[in-house]
Amino acid sequence: MAGFLSALRRIYLSLYNWTVFIGWFQVLYFAVKALREGGPTTVYDAVEKPLQLAQTAAVLEILHGIVGLVRSPVSATLPQIGSRLFLVWGILWSIPETRTHVLVSSLVISWSITEIIRYSFFGMKEALGFAPSWLLWLRYSTFLILYPTGITSEVGLIYVALPFIKASEKYCIRMPNKWNFTFDYFYASIIALAIYVPGSPHMYGYMLGQRKKALSKSKTA
Amino acid sequence: MKVNLVSRNGREVVKGGIELTDEATVSDLQEAIHARIKKYYPSRQRLTLPLQAGSKGKPVVLIPKKKLADYCDGNANNLTVVFKDLGVQVSYSTLFFWEYLGPLVIYPVFYYFPVYKYFGYEGERTIYPVQTYALYYWCFHYFKRILETFFVHRFSHATSPLSNVFRNCAYYWTFGAYIAYHVNHPLYTPVGDFQIKIGFTFGLICQLANFYCHLILRNLRSPDGNGGYQIPRGFLFNIVTCANYTTEIYQWLGFNMATQTIPGCVFLVVATLIMTNWALTKHRRLKKLFDGKEGRPRYPRRWVILPPFM
Repeated sequence: MAGFLSALRRIYLSLYNWTVFIGWFQVLYFAVKALREGGPTTVYDAVEKPLQLAQTAAVLEILHGIVGLVRSPVSATLPQIGSRLFLVWGILWSIPETRTHVLVSSLVISWSITEIIRYSFFGMKEALGFAPSWLLWLRYSTFLILYPTGITSEVGLIYVALPFIKASEKYCIRMPNKWNFTFDYFYASIIALAIYVPGSPHMYGYMLGQRKKALSKSKTA
Repeated sequence: MKVNLVSRNGREVVKGGIELTDEATVSDLQEAIHARIKKYYPSRQRLTLPLQAGSKGKPVVLIPKKKLADYCDGNANNLTVVFKDLGVQVSYSTLFFWEYLGPLVIYPVFYYFPVYKYFGYEGERTIYPVQTYALYYWCFHYFKRILETFFVHRFSHATSPLSNVFRNCAYYWTFGAYIAYHVNHPLYTPVGDFQIKIGFTFGLICQLANFYCHLILRNLRSPDGNGGYQIPRGFLFNIVTCANYTTEIYQWLGFNMATQTIPGCVFLVVATLIMTNWALTKHRRLKKLFDGKEGRPRYPRRWVILPPFM
């Protein structure tokens, strides 16, 4: 029974990782194609559907962590997925004026390269039991460039969206109401921006530590 | 006897070790370390016995009043002690004072000063009676907390790391402003009179009960600051281990019944989660300490913090 469950887990995770891998591969493919054919302003429309699907599917990863299917700590995945979903749905989908900005191109390219490497890495480990050392190296090295480019794109797009958020009054709850509650999407977005200030060095430092551990382990192995 | 003081990665903290008499206590060792390295005052020192290689248990912490000789198992003239710097420390009184002062000062600012015009709400605002009572209730609560800090509580540890001042003040001051903004808002909607009266009355009774719980807890400890743990008895402690947290949670419930704001409810939920975490730790510690063996009493069956859930 235990062997059957463990095999089921492996099949499920292999399917999950490779499916999402294909999603992100599409994002990169359509992004590069649109860049070459129409230029940066056409990138969003070309990648919208696979981007939304692939990124939203990542919510399952939080479930995987809670249920114990994977070992990753929920505390590390939650802020990462939170910021991604905020950008995909809260900024790009909600505030259409941001879609033609050049930072959209750097955003989806940074994200898709990172995720293609990451999902193929996990996909191989689950399906084949190992991942080649060059893929391990890629996984723990490309972030050195892609984190700064991705984070800059995220922060830049939120900043670009701010005046449109303020003007549209979207997602705002005003008083008076029975529960004396207010929500101002403009100020919430500013708080989100502020979180990037301590959050980015923290995440980068965490990945640097992970890199040291992962690459030294493979040397001695 | 000679004490070798090492850091957790094996480096000598005090070159050549520290010479003390055979009758010396841990406290004497702490004073000697402080004399050799000025910045390491005793409350900053964490002294433990070295963990045996491969053992997984927690290290034995040296207790100030005990004699060093009690920790030497074989060699009575030589003891190795592991040192950890806990960082800059502040007394608990200092920590509590600053975290409670924020809400006490910030809340009335939203009530008395024309703050809302900076948020775009011009003109006069009508103040409902419930908003005035909420102000008195809130300020009484934090004033009570400050008085208890200086006159009632006896702390198990004298100090807390300085970083906790910033973290705790951020928590209390931010939530204080968040709640004060909403309760004193020009467009605030009060609930019915009956709900307001029940809320504040219930809350006040719970605050008084909470004060009595603090008195009981105080009398469990001796005034010479020994810390230590006893089985709490009497009043609500006969039914629930952390009756002080229980009454605190219910008094916030009373405040929220009377004021009905989402921010107030969010604060209640977060505070409940934090206190439940503390209560579980305390309950487990008491059960472990009072296991009924070797003449120790056995910890009675009790709710942890919130009957009938936990």
